Amino acid sequence: MRFEYLAVRWPGLSVETVAGAMPYHGSEETVKELRRSLCNPNVQADRLRYRAVVLRVIRYMSQGLDVSGLFMEMVKAGATLDLVQKKLVYLYMCSYAALKPNLALLAINTLRKDCTDPNPMVRGLALRSMCSFRMPGISEYIQQPVLNGLRDKASYVRRAAVLGCAKMQTLQGDTEIDGAVVNELYAMLRDPDPIVMVNCLRALEEILKHEGGVVINKPIAHHLLNRMKDLDHWGQSEVLAFLVRYKTRTEDEVFTFLNVLDDFLKSSQPNVVMATTKLFLLLSEDFPNVQMDILERVKGPLLAICTSECHELCFLGLCHAREILRSSPGHFSDHYKKFFCMYSEPNYIKYQKMEILRDLVNDENVQQILEELQTYCTDVSVELAQVAILNIGRIARTYSERCVAILKGLLGLKQEHVTSAVIQTFRDLVWLCPHCTTTVCQALPGCEENIQDSEGKQALIWLLGMHGKQVPNAPYVLEEFVDNVKTETSVTVKLELITAMVRLFLSRPAECQDVLGRLLHYVIEEELDMAVRDRGLLYFRLLQQGVEEVWRVVCGPRSDPSLDVISGQASEAVSTWSKDFNTLIPIYGQEEWDRLTAQKGDSLEILQVSAVKSDEKDTSPEQREEMAVDSDSVSLETSAHLSPEQFEEYWTRLEPAKVVTVDWHKDSCPDAIQTAFQFVHIQPVAISRAGVQPWKAYLFAKNDAGPLFLIELLTVKGKRDMQITVKQENSSEPLLNNFIAVVKSVIQALGETKS
Amino acid sequence: MIGGLFIYNHKGEVLISRVYRDDIGRNAVDAFRVNVIHARQQVRSPVTNIARTSFFHVKRSNIWLAAVTKQNVNAAMVFEFLYKMCDVMTSYFGKISEENIKNNFVLIYELLDEILDFGYPQNSETGALKTFITQQGIKSQTKEEQSQITSQVTGQIGWRREGIKYRRNELFLDVLESVNLLMSPQGQVLSAHVSGRVVMKSYLSGMPECKFGMNDKIVIEKQGKGTADESGKSGKQSIAIDDCTFHQCVRLSKFESERSISFIPPDGEYELMRYRTTKDIILPFRVIPLVREVGRTKLEVKVVIKSNFKPSLLAQKIEVRIPTPLNTSGVQVICMKGKAKYKASENAIVWKIKRMAGMKESQISAEIELLPTNDKKKWARPPISMNFEVPFAPSGLKVRYLKVFEPKLNYSDHDVIKWVRYIGRSGIYETRC
Repeated sequence: MRFEYLAVRWPGLSVETVAGAMPYHGSEETVKELRRSLCNPNVQADRLRYRAVVLRVIRYMSQGLDVSGLFMEMVKAGATLDLVQKKLVYLYMCSYAALKPNLALLAINTLRKDCTDPNPMVRGLALRSMCSFRMPGISEYIQQPVLNGLRDKASYVRRAAVLGCAKMQTLQGDTEIDGAVVNELYAMLRDPDPIVMVNCLRALEEILKHEGGVVINKPIAHHLLNRMKDLDHWGQSEVLAFLVRYKTRTEDEVFTFLNVLDDFLKSSQPNVVMATTKLFLLLSEDFPNVQMDILERVKGPLLAICTSECHELCFLGLCHAREILRSSPGHFSDHYKKFFCMYSEPNYIKYQKMEILRDLVNDENVQQILEELQTYCTDVSVELAQVAILNIGRIARTYSERCVAILKGLLGLKQEHVTSAVIQTFRDLVWLCPHCTTTVCQALPGCEENIQDSEGKQALIWLLGMHGKQVPNAPYVLEEFVDNVKTETSVTVKLELITAMVRLFLSRPAECQDVLGRLLHYVIEEELDMAVRDRGLLYFRLLQQGVEEVWRVVCGPRSDPSLDVISGQASEAVSTWSKDFNTLIPIYGQEEWDRLTAQKGDSLEILQVSAVKSDEKDTSPEQREEMAVDSDSVSLETSAHLSPEQFEEYWTRLEPAKVVTVDWHKDSCPDAIQTAFQFVHIQPVAISRAGVQPWKAYLFAKNDAGPLFLIELLTVKGKRDMQITVKQENSSEPLLNNFIAVVKSVIQALGETKS
Repeated sequence: MIGGLFIYNHKGEVLISRVYRDDIGRNAVDAFRVNVIHARQQVRSPVTNIARTSFFHVKRSNIWLAAVTKQNVNAAMVFEFLYKMCDVMTSYFGKISEENIKNNFVLIYELLDEILDFGYPQNSETGALKTFITQQGIKSQTKEEQSQITSQVTGQIGWRREGIKYRRNELFLDVLESVNLLMSPQGQVLSAHVSGRVVMKSYLSGMPECKFGMNDKIVIEKQGKGTADESGKSGKQSIAIDDCTFHQCVRLSKFESERSISFIPPDGEYELMRYRTTKDIILPFRVIPLVREVGRTKLEVKVVIKSNFKPSLLAQKIEVRIPTPLNTSGVQVICMKGKAKYKASENAIVWKIKRMAGMKESQISAEIELLPTNDKKKWARPPISMNFEVPFAPSGLKVRYLKVFEPKLNYSDHDVIKWVRYIGRSGIYETRC
């Protein structure tokens, strides 16, 4: 018996067996217990108890326990008048339908029945849930209810039905788009219910994803404009995003848009403000003056977002404000105080604010901004303090005197992380602004006592080596480092130390000769790290060449002064960032975003889809007819082989069958092209390296039916297109057209994906 | 659009999870917990990207709300949606807290179903929603209000209805504990804690008033002042509870002032309390590993397990998992008790013993043959883990009494049939080797 260890019994009570006592552990037992409860007629009779059991099932589901075994019982529980219980059961079914497709079909009947219920709530609920079942083969059952739902008189049902169309499309995957549904949805854009209208846009966008999404033509655009006021703010920002797609024809139209939507710039909802800003910036692309005016007008609302109480929104606002600063440096200069950090704000906001402050500095506010940043330098958060110091260092490129004075003052705190960051800032500063050197050098003595981290040490050693002439005790400080080199763990510090010692030796030989000798001896004889040892040997051999030679190599003129980083930023065009405004890109940053999206897997998916679609899309009607003939369809051999010699022979023998050009304005990336073409079974023979001009690639493919295709891709510098030359072994016009369609689609897909 | 919405407590346990789009899998739930909630640093950004999935998160008191998407969405909208969600929940049931979320579980799922469809925000106006979703949420009151209501015993208690009747009044009390351990190879306890639950199943008539007593150190010390002898004895037997939470039926004000646990129980099964202890834990088993490398192609492993509890008790379902190197070619095992098998697919020797009494020991020795490899890296030696079930509470918790008073009906405390059971199970029970 399982409960034989039931150890403690209450005194004075008779012994009773605990039949089916309480199981808690393990999903199996839980499921068993739940099943028992669900089947218990007493439970079923009591509405509240029944609901409570169903609730427990859902609770376990949320916690990640697999309760899919109860599907049968839950389906039964769904046939109830209790709406709450129904909802719970539907939620359950949506989660597990994919695992139990056979049983889910049983539920379909109940759901279909609910779709004709007199209560619109029940109808809508059933429709919504039914469409969310993620299982193949369900579409045939839901098609009719969805179509009925589109014409339902209750808007609640229509909302669910419209999105149901989109769900159906995603369920079916790449099957053909139902033209009738698309037309119906376009017609429903005129539905009196605003949410139905917005849902139509969303659904169309998903259904027509591969054809470029929902088409916004002039009547639709103007219709949407007129409806804007009826929508809730989710709808507004969504519609604004769709309007971006509309290409205005005339100047008048642009200004109509701007006038009608002007109010939304002042909306109380940040998402509407952002969406409106984006639309306006893109609309006014051809009118730079208007664009600047818009930036000016958006300043207030954006500042409001930046000072919002909600940290997350505030962060978003700051990220977007930085985008604007790219084109219009100093845009918020008058309001710089709004970017002062609050104590309670999380660090991610503070970092953004500090960088904005740094960019807003001008002659009037430099004093205040520097004072503000100075207070952050003593923050309890080490990282925050260091970032503040680095930002002061950036301002120092323009206002060096003031900043160096502040930084020197910070050294007086004698705190390790502060000193380290200041010294690092100094190092970067003297490289860019050589005129600061003297002041910096005066500040160096004594710092070595407060530096422990390797970045700080490196910076100090570099400074002492480079400008040791102006620091009286430089040799002695470095000597100390040399004495402790045995216990130094950082390789980079050791490398820096060797270079600095050699440099200092050149300017102050008498004081350094002995120390340098000791260092080199240690490094060459005892050091374990290969890089350090090699560096030591390198300098040792260099020194053997004579001091003149060492001087020439180590202290040669630095890079061309004209290459110096220009202080003060050049402003970028608004169009460089306006397209990405109000997306995730300003938040992650362009580089991070590219890194996140540049994944082979994704681009291949796109290729696969477009390669399939292209056959239908890119060919003219006549060709489409011909494609119906089976023998003309392109099905390429997966592992065709052709040696380069054979290829050359064919290439010289055959005449070009067709030459086409396609748009291409990217740098060619051989790897991507190779993978992409191999994906559709076109094999490369030879591809030029990236950046070579003219760029060429030779590829071939063999159709299953026999004929061989040879392809040449050619791009020439300056031209924004790619020339594709195809040669064919046994000429067959329709087959050739189909093949070219495939090649084109691959090239297009490559052009669309980010490299 | 939003692919999914998750609500976690501060420990990272999922309270609510609702997935709207296929591209969001169950693993997204865990990814967020591991990368954000359990990350010991300050939040770096309110938008976190994990495996090309963006997590938008906000925190309300102890609760994390995360919206998940794989698309390049309008971030402002997602955050505003999360705020809206918080607003709606607040207007339904007051403060957003773990307790409130657990109590209004159904309501939240209903709301999520209504506000978002396929990841698109639908109708989110509280006024309109309240006509759709009429189910009464349980508004949280201050502790005073709550205790007032419960003391009225007029049927205004949300968790118990009036007029419940049983022919036989019965209650079951289970103390369920999971004991977690990390031990060094030398037998030093690196970390150990017990997380336990007291689960009750009550079949009582009327509106009974219950009082639950256990060997809580604070209570015992209070009472033990009387007789010095008893306090000396009980000092050993009482336990220090680090933290505990109760079912909403327990009168918290009384617990805080007198540390007594009194309540009117819900009908049927429910969890009365949860607790955690870290001190004076009885570790039911000691694992003593001995690993010897014989040359480069052979490994000798000897593992001794010792049971450390009363000889009259029996532990069950004992399983010891001894990891083996990846390049294992063959294993020979000899064990005194139970069955041991080398499972190549799991890279481990699994030793199972059905039953084992207290104060016994058992050992297994294995010879592991290794394939020679070029890999210079040494085998990382994962810890030996163990599973078991014992009929006592490793925390040392003892139920001292559970009294039932129902003045209105004619049954007394003595007429109630009561059952207590202790089950201790292994949580993560690891010994390094």
